[in-house]
Amino acid sequence: MADKLLITSSPHIRAAKTVRSIMLDVVIALVPASVAAVVFFGVKAFGVLAASTISAVLAEYLYEKAVKRPVTVGDLSAVVTGLLLGLTLPPAVPLYVPVVGSAFAIVVAKQVFGGLGTNFVNPALAGRAFVLAAWPLHVTSAWLNPLTMDAATGATPLHAFKGGQAAGSLVDLLIGNRLGSLGETSAIAILLGGAYLLMRGVIDYRIPVAYLGTLGLGVFIFGKPGALFQGDPLRGILLGGAMLGAFFMATDYVTSPVTPKGRTYMGIGAGLITLLIRYWGDYPEGVTYAILLMNLATPLIDKFVVPRYYGYAHDVAARRKANRAGGELS
Amino acid sequence: MNKRSLIGEFTKGLIEENATFKAAIGLCPTLAVTTSLVNGFWMGVAVVFVLTFSNVFVSILRKVTPDQIRIPVFVILIATPVVIVELVMRAYLPAMYQILGIFVSLIVVNCIVIARAEAFAYKNSPLRAAFDGLGVGAGFMIDLMLIGAVREFLGTGTLTVGSMVLPSKPLFEPMSVMLTPPGGFITLGVLMAVLNIAFQRAAAKRAKTVS
Amino acid sequence: MVKAKRGSGGVSVPDKKELSGRMPIEDAGIPAELTLFLSQHTGAPSKPLVNVGDDVKRGQKIAEAQGAVSACLHAPTSGKVKAIEPRYQPVLGREVDAIVLTPDGENTLYEGIAPVGDDLEAISQEKIREVVREAGLVGLGGAAFPTAVKLTPPPGKTIDTYLLNGVECEPYLTADQKLMEESAADVVFGFRALMKGAGVKKGIICIEDNKPDAIKAMEEAAKPYPELEIAVLSHRYPRGGEKQLIEVVLGREVPPPPGLPLDVGVIVSNVGTAYALAMALKTGLPLVERIVSVTGEGVARPVNLRALIGTPVSYLIEKAGGFSSTPGKVVLGGPMMGVSVRDTDVSIVKGTSGVLVLPAEAVKTEPVLPCIRCGRCVEACPMRLLPVWMAAYAENGYMDDAEKMRVMDCCECGACSYVCPSRRPLTQSIRLAKAHIAAKRRAAAKK
Repeated sequence: MADKLLITSSPHIRAAKTVRSIMLDVVIALVPASVAAVVFFGVKAFGVLAASTISAVLAEYLYEKAVKRPVTVGDLSAVVTGLLLGLTLPPAVPLYVPVVGSAFAIVVAKQVFGGLGTNFVNPALAGRAFVLAAWPLHVTSAWLNPLTMDAATGATPLHAFKGGQAAGSLVDLLIGNRLGSLGETSAIAILLGGAYLLMRGVIDYRIPVAYLGTLGLGVFIFGKPGALFQGDPLRGILLGGAMLGAFFMATDYVTSPVTPKGRTYMGIGAGLITLLIRYWGDYPEGVTYAILLMNLATPLIDKFVVPRYYGYAHDVAARRKANRAGGELS
Repeated sequence: MNKRSLIGEFTKGLIEENATFKAAIGLCPTLAVTTSLVNGFWMGVAVVFVLTFSNVFVSILRKVTPDQIRIPVFVILIATPVVIVELVMRAYLPAMYQILGIFVSLIVVNCIVIARAEAFAYKNSPLRAAFDGLGVGAGFMIDLMLIGAVREFLGTGTLTVGSMVLPSKPLFEPMSVMLTPPGGFITLGVLMAVLNIAFQRAAAKRAKTVS
Repeated sequence: MVKAKRGSGGVSVPDKKELSGRMPIEDAGIPAELTLFLSQHTGAPSKPLVNVGDDVKRGQKIAEAQGAVSACLHAPTSGKVKAIEPRYQPVLGREVDAIVLTPDGENTLYEGIAPVGDDLEAISQEKIREVVREAGLVGLGGAAFPTAVKLTPPPGKTIDTYLLNGVECEPYLTADQKLMEESAADVVFGFRALMKGAGVKKGIICIEDNKPDAIKAMEEAAKPYPELEIAVLSHRYPRGGEKQLIEVVLGREVPPPPGLPLDVGVIVSNVGTAYALAMALKTGLPLVERIVSVTGEGVARPVNLRALIGTPVSYLIEKAGGFSSTPGKVVLGGPMMGVSVRDTDVSIVKGTSGVLVLPAEAVKTEPVLPCIRCGRCVEACPMRLLPVWMAAYAENGYMDDAEKMRVMDCCECGACSYVCPSRRPLTQSIRLAKAHIAAKRRAAAKK
């Protein structure tokens, strides 16, 4: 006879996905982009990615040891943050940039606010914003020519595109044969990763679709300086960090809304802000700040986007009343 | 309310009632002027002077100041030493006056000065008020110098003390963000966290050894 | 054939029907002792009609229904009343009075048992309702709501559709599946009787698509009756809950509590209930036994048993070959909504459709991680609620805020906890909030 049977509340079975398995899926999804980065930009790219990942993991470990909390490095979220941050940096950036950036991302943007699940902005993007402000010259000009891996000068294709000039062949843009940060150059690699995440049910399609859709539409309408409805939406989406941001950054669970409709709104908002910054702002790239701003807006979105609860279909007034009452979040 | 010794009134401003890291008041000038060590130092000196001066006079006049108009009276009593500081600075430290700019004049409405006037000087003897002003002011000066030193070192790679520049060349690529407002907030936040943890752990250790 | 509409929410759970799905229904036999709780249905407990020491026969009424919402109780086999005392009722989680029977092994039938008939035309609606009441029929899907009450809706409510629930969406359980495969004709007969008893013209038999043999059998049995249709649902949990079933099959939504399916013109009953009515009409036997799936990786020989109400769980597990390894949990019902019991000395009740034994390795407790706001629980909730916030409020004591988020509408299906990657006990926290709020409302009602 059994001597000790376990008693718990139902349910008694659980789905296979755990936090760790989800993070592992994200790491796997980032492999194509990382490999593409190393292929196009060589050993320096590997150095940057390794430095940012190791620094993130180490920062989390050391911080948790210092404040005497359980070490959570095993859930792989620090690895994801480090890898993502590395992918947003240019290939020839000095190694202390990813190291400090990752440390900032983990310690200040995540751990200080309570660790996994309570960060208020995307840690990788916060780290990037910090190093962008700390060493602006390095982060916006340490480009390398793809494949030849020699130092490059001059504006990135995004800059040229904004000015209305040609910005590289579509094939080059898709494979990654262009100037840019490590992760943003190869659109195909990002799409592969994004498709993997969608297939595995890790990310919601709504955020990348809403983001890229809004951005594309906006570029189509406003893209060409001096004219309307003549922009190039495809290039508008492929250039810069929009692809990486849409699939990997904006979809971060903690800083995106929990409801499907809310996620669509977040994607649209991020697309609009990116558009605003790119075409009416001074920066060439708007993705970082667009996503960070929508991260800040997420609690607001969550407060007001409430699903239509079951049972109120027949009585519209009661449904509205229930939604209003149910929308109160402290 | 236990009566502290006069020395106690001084030292409490350093840690226990530290203006920046404990009470978190007067943060505007703290963030604005701490872009270097010397800036923080001179601002601190100005505040020490103003705080002590105003504390003493608020205390002297406390019995004749009607309660309903005490705040305007405080402002007048604070504005006087501020004007003195402004004129002295303009005369003898013109470069520093240029850098600190409007924040010297704004000491008039600095939370710390009004707070000490209201919370302490109005209710205590002039001698006590003087030590209180000196202590809180000194604490504030140390805070400004600490934050200024961190921001300057990280933001320019060197520390300038008088005519000495240490180290002579930056050891690393300076992080210009530290000289900007975001850098100020981050430094303030990190220092506040680290110092408070240190204070707590020290207090806990003291309590353990006492009990 | 009705094409089912897509419902919202729900999770895809493993089937696990193959463990007991191929085993024909076996007779469990008569255990050494039967514990018949007076409270094993929704509503007021029944009142005993026998005393300690009395001899009873199979099918004899031993407890009478009390009040409008209640059900009577019958002796499953012949024997002597050993005791009438409080015993631990596993579904309610507390002790309730029970009539304890010591069977004599003879299984003598009560003299009053007589068939009513097998021609539905000849049996009046009144007679059917009387049989349902007297047979102690309750919903055998698990909620055990007195069927007699279900068949008599309050005046002003017209019912246009009767749904027969053969969905059995919980993993592992195959009791309803086997019943439909082996006794489709009786199930259809019972369903038509239920429809006549309620005065409903249209009936839809709902089955999940993971039971192809059952679907075939029921289609055959229902063919002669044009008022019956079959609806095949794709396998998703919790389609079998009556609220979800009504939404998926008919596109209607039951209003929130105190709303009931009859408010949208629907009644739902389980296939087991229909079968029990068929037996009551054809043989006169009241509800004294039911099909129980004894399954799970923790038993040596998963099997579907025709068991007497009140049989101890240990007896049933023995019939299934005993434990195959160190058991971790024994659950009455399915793995998503079933009740885990502290030992196998408890007895099954009218609503027990399964005994699930999960081995120790399968139920190792995993660490609970912080909520990562992934939103999977929101996608999973069939009531379209927000478990992430309700559970957070409940865990921090903000019960009023949880109430504003409609936590009382939660059907406790467990889909949210199932899918949570941080392994947070969402269902448990929500139950806590519901208990709090229910207690508060009771206290307020007393004033």
